[in-house]
Amino acid sequence: MTRYYSEEQVITTITRLTPSRLTTYVQHEFLCPAQSENGPVYTAADLARIELICDLDEQFDLQGDALGVVLSLIDQLHGVRSELRRVMTAIEAQPEDLRGRIIAALKEM
Amino acid sequence: MSNDPYSALGLKKSATDAEIKKAYRKIARTHHPDLNPGDSTAEAKFKAASAAYDLLKDPEQRRRFDAGEIDATGAEKQPERKFYREYAEQGGHGYGNTHGYEDFGDMSDIFADILRQRQAQGGAGGAGAGFGGRGFDARGADARYMLEVDFMDAVKGGKKRITLPSGDNLEVKIPEGTRDGQTIRLRGKGGEGYGKGPRGDAYVTINVRPHKVFKREGDDIHITLPITIDEAVLGGKVPTPTIHGTVNLTIPKGASSGQTLRLRGKGVKRGKKTGDQKVELQIKMPPNVDADLEKFMQGWRKDHAYDPRKGMTS
Repeated sequence: MTRYYSEEQVITTITRLTPSRLTTYVQHEFLCPAQSENGPVYTAADLARIELICDLDEQFDLQGDALGVVLSLIDQLHGVRSELRRVMTAIEAQPEDLRGRIIAALKEM
Repeated sequence: MSNDPYSALGLKKSATDAEIKKAYRKIARTHHPDLNPGDSTAEAKFKAASAAYDLLKDPEQRRRFDAGEIDATGAEKQPERKFYREYAEQGGHGYGNTHGYEDFGDMSDIFADILRQRQAQGGAGGAGAGFGGRGFDARGADARYMLEVDFMDAVKGGKKRITLPSGDNLEVKIPEGTRDGQTIRLRGKGGEGYGKGPRGDAYVTINVRPHKVFKREGDDIHITLPITIDEAVLGGKVPTPTIHGTVNLTIPKGASSGQTLRLRGKGVKRGKKTGDQKVELQIKMPPNVDADLEKFMQGWRKDHAYDPRKGMTS
């Protein structure tokens, strides 16, 4: 069973976060907590994302749309990396000669 | 972290508060693990700099550290922080967002196809927008839900209704054999589209409450079944709970604790496949060892001694 955190639990876990800042982050859609019958709930991944948002907010003075743009770029970067990893894994699984041909083609580019 | 917070920031003790902030920002910018997912040294450097900055940004704490009143960890230790990049590439968190590969179209090869397809499968998040004809059309946002269900409901499947604090209702069909953490996609149950855009989808993650008897291992069910010493010695049929109801399980003569018996086809049904139930036996002694049992065992031990620990001790 996955551990989910309620809003209060998130705020007590991440001490630098205040209820109003959490609300702001959700309103800006920097976070999209899953909705449950007892209100929004957060996963461990959401918590790590909140830490990142707090870093960007407090230490880089990024708020509002600027923060949104940075987060979106980070999400895109991670998305691309995850897909690149999938492609690499697929290439890895190919026979030696095919792998060699792919590597040769990459070198030529 | 290093014992010297100044060196973690690449500064001298005489640094001003502004210099400390500047140095920290520089390291944070160049070494933040989430901004540098591919650099394995980034996390250590960032952590050291963060700890150092936490200590030095407060003039009072800095004074106490300089005066030797507190050490570099500043007394209380912070719990280990999890960085977002540890989750970011796993997917399923709703933030996966590659904004499509439309520009890959010219390549017209399998590559772009595969990536586009992938995006359609995993794609909570990025709403595709486009100017269709005259107006602005965009797909509505996806919605994420979490639904806690009982173990048996997940195993057997069924219909559940999520009633949200806002009063909204959402019917979720749980397929037979749903696993813990599985996400069900409800097409068109997300947010309203913009213009002529379609509605977004709803993603419902199923969180399965553990059962006090049954444990799930893939599509197999595992249980621990207590048996008496006489059942262990003599064997026999013992009523055993399964997710499909009680069955009589044949215990072989001379069964041991830890021995696992398999009930074929008594596991979780998922699609066309059905798992097994694994029954691990556990011999339970009677609540009290009475005189009869003690007397019998003393007699039996005399000429039937055996060593189950052979080879374990030298």
